Amino acid sequence: MSESTESPQALAAAAPDSAVPSGPWRPLIHTPLENFSKLRPKVLERVVARTSQELSSQSSELLLGEALYQERVRIKRGGDNLFTKGRTRRDRQVLSKIQSGLLRPPGQSDRQELLRTLVSHYSEEIGGHFDPRVYQFATNALPIFFNWLLNAASVQQFNPWKQRDLINSQLIINGEVDHLVSLARKGTILMVPTHQSNIDSMLIGFIIYMLRLPPFAYGAGLNLFNNPVLSFFMSNLGAYTVDRRKSNAIYKNTLKNYSTAILREGVHSIFFPGGGRSRSGAIESKLKLGLLGTALEAQTENLIAGSEKPNVYVVPMVMSYHYVLEAASLIEDYLADAGKHRFIITDDESFQPTTVARFFWRLFSAHSKITVRIGRPLDVFGNFVDEAGRSIGPNGTTIDPRAWLTTRGVLCKNAQRDREYTEALGGQISERFHRENTVLSSHLVAFSYFEALRQKYPHLDLYRFLRLSRAQRTLTVEEFLAAAERHRGAVLTRALHRELHVCPELTMADSGGEGFHGERVLPSWVREGIRQLGQLHDSAVVKVEGDEVFTEDMTLLYYYRNRLAGYGLSLRASELKGQLQGTHDRKGFLA
Amino acid sequence: MTEKDFWRNSQVTVVGGGSWGIVLAQLAAQNCQEVRLWLRDESQARAINSTRVSPKYLPGTVISPKVRAMVEPDRAMAVGEGGVSTVIWALPSSVARDQARVFAPYFTGSEVVIHATKGIESGSLKRISEVLAEELPLHRIGVVSGPNLAAEVARGEPAATVVASDFEEVIEAGQHVLSTPKFRVYSASDMVGVEWAGTLKNILAIAAGALDALGMGWNARAMLITRGLAEMVRFGVAMGAETQTFLGLAGMGDLMATCGSPLSRNYRVGAALAKGEPIEKILAELGATAEGVRTARTVREFAVERGISMPICEGVFDLVTGRSTVKQALEALMARPQVPEF
Repeated sequence: MSESTESPQALAAAAPDSAVPSGPWRPLIHTPLENFSKLRPKVLERVVARTSQELSSQSSELLLGEALYQERVRIKRGGDNLFTKGRTRRDRQVLSKIQSGLLRPPGQSDRQELLRTLVSHYSEEIGGHFDPRVYQFATNALPIFFNWLLNAASVQQFNPWKQRDLINSQLIINGEVDHLVSLARKGTILMVPTHQSNIDSMLIGFIIYMLRLPPFAYGAGLNLFNNPVLSFFMSNLGAYTVDRRKSNAIYKNTLKNYSTAILREGVHSIFFPGGGRSRSGAIESKLKLGLLGTALEAQTENLIAGSEKPNVYVVPMVMSYHYVLEAASLIEDYLADAGKHRFIITDDESFQPTTVARFFWRLFSAHSKITVRIGRPLDVFGNFVDEAGRSIGPNGTTIDPRAWLTTRGVLCKNAQRDREYTEALGGQISERFHRENTVLSSHLVAFSYFEALRQKYPHLDLYRFLRLSRAQRTLTVEEFLAAAERHRGAVLTRALHRELHVCPELTMADSGGEGFHGERVLPSWVREGIRQLGQLHDSAVVKVEGDEVFTEDMTLLYYYRNRLAGYGLSLRASELKGQLQGTHDRKGFLA
Repeated sequence: MTEKDFWRNSQVTVVGGGSWGIVLAQLAAQNCQEVRLWLRDESQARAINSTRVSPKYLPGTVISPKVRAMVEPDRAMAVGEGGVSTVIWALPSSVARDQARVFAPYFTGSEVVIHATKGIESGSLKRISEVLAEELPLHRIGVVSGPNLAAEVARGEPAATVVASDFEEVIEAGQHVLSTPKFRVYSASDMVGVEWAGTLKNILAIAAGALDALGMGWNARAMLITRGLAEMVRFGVAMGAETQTFLGLAGMGDLMATCGSPLSRNYRVGAALAKGEPIEKILAELGATAEGVRTARTVREFAVERGISMPICEGVFDLVTGRSTVKQALEALMARPQVPEF
């Protein structure tokens, strides 16, 4: 287990890409997803039966009426484009059918039947496909494409077709990869990544490929299906659709049951436990327990049914970027919501093919490494799991999940008990997210500058602080560097205590000095951090000019600064006791 | 099998053979087939098994033949037909963590644990349910607390208590295993509040003992209880408890019983302090744990740090650490600036 005591030097020296297997590509393990065309009708049938049955205790009339109303409101709001039009049209057809059914007296139209119609419509929409030929094509084409992009983007040697080693590329994967692979043979993996950007979805596909894992079923937001090319690949590689705009109980139940059903079939899955992308830029601390609970539900049903491989293993994954494509719109949404001034739903206008291409181009040409950490695997209760797939309890005990799922002497489901268990799992995932996070130079630069500035205006609340004038938000280089070094020390201490991870630049840092002409040279990690923050955005997040440091965009700065929230590093964090993750201090800043 | 049948046919293990542990075992024996009582002292175990009396803790009570006392954890936790369903944890807070470590290997994870400790881990300020969750391989933990002076419950006088847990089945177990015609068990979900209420009242019990020993009247006691309750609520809410829990059996109820009864150990400590006896001598003579002494220290430290106003707790702290006499402490309390009540 990698959770031992290591010095920062050892951390840095450990080959960061050692986690990635080498040799010719073939999947290390297999998944039932490969035969999904056979599985699909069975899964959908079970989802429909289960959902209808679960909802039968409530009045179908009421449920349908509510769903109908919410769906009409959603459709009226619009937001469709060329590629979602067909989907909405199909929604409309079914909804009209439901509506006319509801208008007839119950004797003439069976409410249960109407409910079944809507549930099967939803499950058909959610259910993914898997086409082995597309998979074959993608696994062959992906490395060529990425290599091409990589080489084309590297200015030094423009030879797009020359093969370069992918492993030395811009993606660093480390953590418990072997553990993950061995558990995937013993049970079903549920990967739960942090979510910052729509890029995540593509990146995860690539990571899975790099790790030689088989395709994972994937709960992807509807917006990813807007792009026809992406949509084609996603929907044929096991991705299932999650439409977050559909918030009615019938849809939510169907979605939950779909997730349970495929986990039960042993299909390794992924979903983002935070729901959407992190608006504030901070690591997720409040998770969607409903979907998360499907892991426990699937495992309980497997155990009751006596399945051969009943266990579901939850594997947290943390991705660290130097810059995030949608940072500006995300933080704006967050501030608007937190400030209760207005409520806006950001559409994904920023997520156009051209902007995505620009992101990847910048990524590859600027040597901006993306760091990904596969976290220690957990069981469905949030206990750690050893290499053999056993749950580890305190004081050298191992935990038998059956015992935890036994109530009054019977192995069974129990809604109240399982909710408590899932809440504990959620808390543990959020805790692991923070601990498995890799701090990059850019995060620390943004955090240090922001906190140094706050020290000058400790009495200001968040909203007044964000409106400081350009002159007010200028620091001297000395002030900034002092804060940067202080925070680097604090972060390294926390890395030693295993509270987070740091990238190599931060452990082997120089202290800068004087240049050739007597000018000041910043420490290399600070220079690197500033450079990375400046890659994507039009306005500089942190800028050094002569003796001054300033920012051109306070809200963007706040966004990047928030990545280090939740660790108790900020100015007023010491005033708060207990859990810091996701809490605000007295002035409204994320602690 | 109904709920009730299951719990009543299951095996109960009580960990801790102090007076309250024995009484809880007695209550469980009225409902269940077999109760195993784990205790540390072998001679006590032998005495209970042969004479059906605990000479040290409950000399006047005949212990049910269904209660079997033993000193080996593995035997106490040994899996019978259906396994141990309920573990009642009745050890002092000071040994909670160490004993949990000893017992951890004997748990299967299907048990529910209900602890009856009215105290917290000193230093860490962790509640006993938190300590147990950290050390035992299970999550289903609850607490039982209320105005339950062991001797009175043992005599079969009517009493009520409250069982709190995040898990409904723990509450269900507590209600089925512990309730008798003379002992009513209420349920609650605010585990934080119930645990803190049971802890904080011990501090006030010391003060009550001191006041009574000095022969102060009902007015003084009412003042102490009411203002003490206000302190408990302030502190409890800061720890995440709900206010109304403190108005219930675990809060107000327990406070009234402990502050008025010479049966309470903490009350006896306060009374002895008022007579000018040194604390070491008092604790040695008591022969049992007085949680309030340790709690006063820990709580006062945290209250000062967090800026929670707890003048009575401060006074008790001065008293048990020998910084002031009862008279001085009382004078200091009465001389505080005039403030609004709420």
